[in-house]
Amino acid sequence: MQSVFSLNNKNALSTPKSLADLKPGESAFIAEVNENTYTCKLLNLGLLPRTKVTLVRKAPFGGAYYIKLGSHQLAVRIEEAASISIEP
Amino acid sequence: MIKHQDNKPKTVALIGNPNSGKSSLFNHLTGLHQEVSNFPGVTVDKKSAIIHLAETTLVRLIDFPGTYSFFPNSVEEKIVVDSLIQQNGPFRPDLVVYVADVTQLERHLLLATQIRDLGIPMIFVLNMIDVAQSQDQKIDTGALESYLKLPIVQTSVRQGVGLDTLRLAMFGALFNDQKHESPIYGLSELETKTANEVQQLFPASTKYQAKLIAHHHQWLPHLSGPERQSIKKIVDKNGFQDLRLQVQETMSRFESIVPVSKKVVTSRSPEMRSWTDRIDDVITNRFWGPVIFFGLMLIVFQAIYSLAALPMDLIEAGFASTGQWLSSHLPTHWISDLLVDGVWAGLGGVIVFVPQIAILFLMISFLEESGYMSRAVFMFDNIMRRFGMNGRSMVSLISSAACAIPAIMATRTISNQRERLITIMVSPLISCSARLPVYAILIGFVVPDIKIWGIFNSQGLAFMGLYLLGIVGALVSALILKPFIKETTGSFLMMELPNYKSPMWSNVL
Repeated sequence: MQSVFSLNNKNALSTPKSLADLKPGESAFIAEVNENTYTCKLLNLGLLPRTKVTLVRKAPFGGAYYIKLGSHQLAVRIEEAASISIEP
Repeated sequence: MIKHQDNKPKTVALIGNPNSGKSSLFNHLTGLHQEVSNFPGVTVDKKSAIIHLAETTLVRLIDFPGTYSFFPNSVEEKIVVDSLIQQNGPFRPDLVVYVADVTQLERHLLLATQIRDLGIPMIFVLNMIDVAQSQDQKIDTGALESYLKLPIVQTSVRQGVGLDTLRLAMFGALFNDQKHESPIYGLSELETKTANEVQQLFPASTKYQAKLIAHHHQWLPHLSGPERQSIKKIVDKNGFQDLRLQVQETMSRFESIVPVSKKVVTSRSPEMRSWTDRIDDVITNRFWGPVIFFGLMLIVFQAIYSLAALPMDLIEAGFASTGQWLSSHLPTHWISDLLVDGVWAGLGGVIVFVPQIAILFLMISFLEESGYMSRAVFMFDNIMRRFGMNGRSMVSLISSAACAIPAIMATRTISNQRERLITIMVSPLISCSARLPVYAILIGFVVPDIKIWGIFNSQGLAFMGLYLLGIVGALVSALILKPFIKETTGSFLMMELPNYKSPMWSNVL
């Protein structure tokens, strides 16, 4: 039982939940953009549900991600990325 | 609906998302006869020009700031919203020429559908078709036409394709009333009820216009105090939730836009890694990114010294010889002395620095036009935040090396009040180009002209040192200011990193 529990726990940790959990080079599909004051801005930039998004790299001094959506690329802060839920 | 006023030229507005090629189109349509002023009350450039559409038809063309949607995030976007919503406002256009980048059609369609629902006559310009063709994309304008029910023109401003067709379409749209089609976004029951009540205050407005007034009544500059209060009452009474309804409208518009844009632009070749991807692998790299950034800055300042040397020598020699010529041909009198040694030599002392200042301005606008500046914003955002600023402050701090005034104007893209204030206050501490002549004279006096490691000029290095001192001063001041300014609104970075492009010289100069 113990081992199963820890395995599940590990799984839960390794499955990315939001865009901020992706590692450089990983891709996922946007499930939902959680509502907050800048949701419209994220949508305007093309972060729409069912869009494929790739985390290309982290900023040299941290704090922000370079992400790619189809034919264009964006810079978002980690907090902003955290408001975007993803699914594999 | 177009009002026929024969005495006044009709107004045509150029509107589009940032990086849609709108400003290049404006430059192409107007040539050099532009008039640059500010929108009233704000330091946002308003470029306008009177252009000939046909032999005798003059229209006023206004280049509006790049905008993503009618739910604005910056001062510039607010201007666009206010100008279009205000029924008889000074900048309300008779026709909108909407410019969209065909390779980014999905996102660029959002604002177009919003403007269309306002009921302003519009032409939809599909720009950058050359790029789409080079990426082997097929464009079906029929699908777009049946969705928007608007005249559609394909252009490539870079190659000068489609501009005559656009002029013809503008002429046609201005002098034939466009049929008003039903709006693309259907208002919900609550929205309709609110809009109906707002419409009673502004009888000439469309439903969607009334809805936008309900959204933005708190800041729209053209509303009077009593109007604002009555709208607030309507909004509160109906439970009209501003933010939630903005998201709802945006989502609903995209739900119809996404399938249409997939039909309009179909790619035949699989997605390839673009030049931008390859360049960014290096330029935004963890290690090389900052190294390249400082290298670029070093090159900029070295270039000021080395490239400007020849024209400066020529100007100096020119003034010296004309001065000699003047003094030998003028009668000996104190007025001649005043003219030659005072006015003429003084003029020369100022003009000699024009090459340096011009090179600095040129290089900074080159960095901005090429798309590099937004990479610098991305890389340094985290550092800037520690100083109470935003990554976008980088643009201002770099620009203030040329002049603090445009640098302060550039802070309008920072939506957070505190970050903007700090950036405005510390930017002037960066050495601007007007200080350049003073530095140049001082360094010329004090620092010997020797080569270091065979490539660096010692005077150039001293020069960079003085600039670095300004940067340190600015950052330290920012740290001191930070605790004194209260944080009011949220801060954000999210921004587009546009594809690299070689700058068009007409835009840089």
